[in-house]
Amino acid sequence: MAIWGIGDVLALPKVQCPNHPDAMLVEDYRAGDMICPECGLVVGDRVIDVGSEWRTFTNEKATQDPSRVGDAQNPLLNGGDLSTMISKGTGAASFDEFGNSKYQNRRTMSSSDRAMLNAFKEITTMADRINLPRNIIDRTNNLFKQVYEQKSLKGRANDAIASACLYIACRQEGVPRTFKEICAVSRISKKEIGRCFKLILKALETSVDLITTGDFMSRFCSNLGLPKQVQMAATYIARKAVELDLVPGRSPISVAAAAIYMASQASAEKKTQKEIGDIAGVADVTIRQSYRLIYPRAADLFPPDFKFDTPVDKLPQL
Amino acid sequence: MLAIGPWQFLSCFGQQFQPEKDVGKDLDLSFLPEETSGNDASNANVTQDSGVFDACRQEESAETDPKKVAMPGASTFCPMTPVIPVAESSGIIPMLQNIVSTVNLACPLDLKSIALQARNAEYNPKRFDAVIMRILEPRTTALIFSSGKMVCTGAKSEELCHLATRKFARVVQKLGFPAKFLDFKIHNMVATCDVCFPIRLEGLLLDHQQFSSYVPELFPGLIYRMVKPRIVFLIFVSGKVVLTGVKERREIYDAFENIYPILKGFRKQ
Repeated sequence: MAIWGIGDVLALPKVQCPNHPDAMLVEDYRAGDMICPECGLVVGDRVIDVGSEWRTFTNEKATQDPSRVGDAQNPLLNGGDLSTMISKGTGAASFDEFGNSKYQNRRTMSSSDRAMLNAFKEITTMADRINLPRNIIDRTNNLFKQVYEQKSLKGRANDAIASACLYIACRQEGVPRTFKEICAVSRISKKEIGRCFKLILKALETSVDLITTGDFMSRFCSNLGLPKQVQMAATYIARKAVELDLVPGRSPISVAAAAIYMASQASAEKKTQKEIGDIAGVADVTIRQSYRLIYPRAADLFPPDFKFDTPVDKLPQL
Repeated sequence: MLAIGPWQFLSCFGQQFQPEKDVGKDLDLSFLPEETSGNDASNANVTQDSGVFDACRQEESAETDPKKVAMPGASTFCPMTPVIPVAESSGIIPMLQNIVSTVNLACPLDLKSIALQARNAEYNPKRFDAVIMRILEPRTTALIFSSGKMVCTGAKSEELCHLATRKFARVVQKLGFPAKFLDFKIHNMVATCDVCFPIRLEGLLLDHQQFSSYVPELFPGLIYRMVKPRIVFLIFVSGKVVLTGVKERREIYDAFENIYPILKGFRKQ
């Protein structure tokens, strides 16, 4: 018996005992009843048992989980797709005499948003290549959904929009990836990703923070195999260089690469400009240019507690 | 294309409207007509491109601004710089670098014969379906299409653009086509200038986020899209500024006067 509770904001029918509305009903699952503990009145009847249909035991061949029927639902992104389809048969009876399967139709499972599902798959593939965590993938999917529903970028390739969404998501999570890194895992050119990036920011009316040199230090340095001391020194050098305005108008990536070069050349682990350029996606002439700008003030840029393997005056002068 | 009537100068100074009062102890405004004609696309009476601009802004534009004035010949031209407090004007004048215009020659053209007969013409139909013709004086390039329409680029002033377009039309005419000169219209003007101080682009981005786009990975300059007048600025750290996207010289000057105080606020110390 459904009774409308006073002050029930959701206005769902709330099962209550008519005589004792405050009493917490006890569920008797064997009989499927809701019983009031005060007076013993059976209030709710034929309560559906939501437990699992069959008992499952963990065994070694636990490839299938019998308590699950179907894929995990993605309610935020799909709009709650409840359609079903007939899968390919497994037994011998599903094939006719020539060996063709009797039931052929496997098409058009979810005709609406098929492109969106494809894009989500592409996003997951791209993110997987650079080992991005689940939260970034989810954020990317959400951004893509918003852009797709808005339809303002409808003419653009879905892959380009997906790549740009991935770039924005990385930025928003505070772990920006360079355009070149996104390019490396996507088939779209940097130019097109850049264009879509600007269009998406305008369409969603958001903005992103400006990148800083420190955002990339840990990734570049660990890819180069540099120890923590060198990484911290490079971070300090890059930050100081920007503060002292030694490198006006230079891309933060180039400044970061030059700082890593200077720090590594001053330590025991010396890396060449080519190696750093490969990792950072920066041309080695660009590193050379930025290095020339920071070289004159090298002594001021190093952190005070840095242990020099090569002293400042012996740093290479390019 | 300078057209400031005497009454507008006075308004700039915040004085009352006194048309009979002689403003010009410093200025001789007698050569300016009382009323200037409206904006006429085929009006070739434009100023020469010395680029001198009287930097007095029209604060209240309740009346439609007269756009053109017939200036005296180049040799007797004297700069009109009324006495304005320095704080109001920037003193910097953007220089025009490029003007793009179109004109309709109003007759179908045989591009192959044009390319074969004319000098300085290239025609590669597999690459682009138009003749690319260049003249040396003024140094401009024209794209001539088989429909008879023509695009002219590279001129540094409106007058030179008009002249160049006419020269191209003359060439086509001499090759035997009944070319006319219809609907000459300037579509885009590009100007550059230098504010002579370094600019903090990050600060400008933070403050004017809805107008600015600054992605150093993609382009080293900040792209500022001003709403009124509708113009795009490319602002660089060095202080150089590029203005584009407008069809009128006045809009360039107005827009630069609008942005100059903003840029001064983000000067690097």
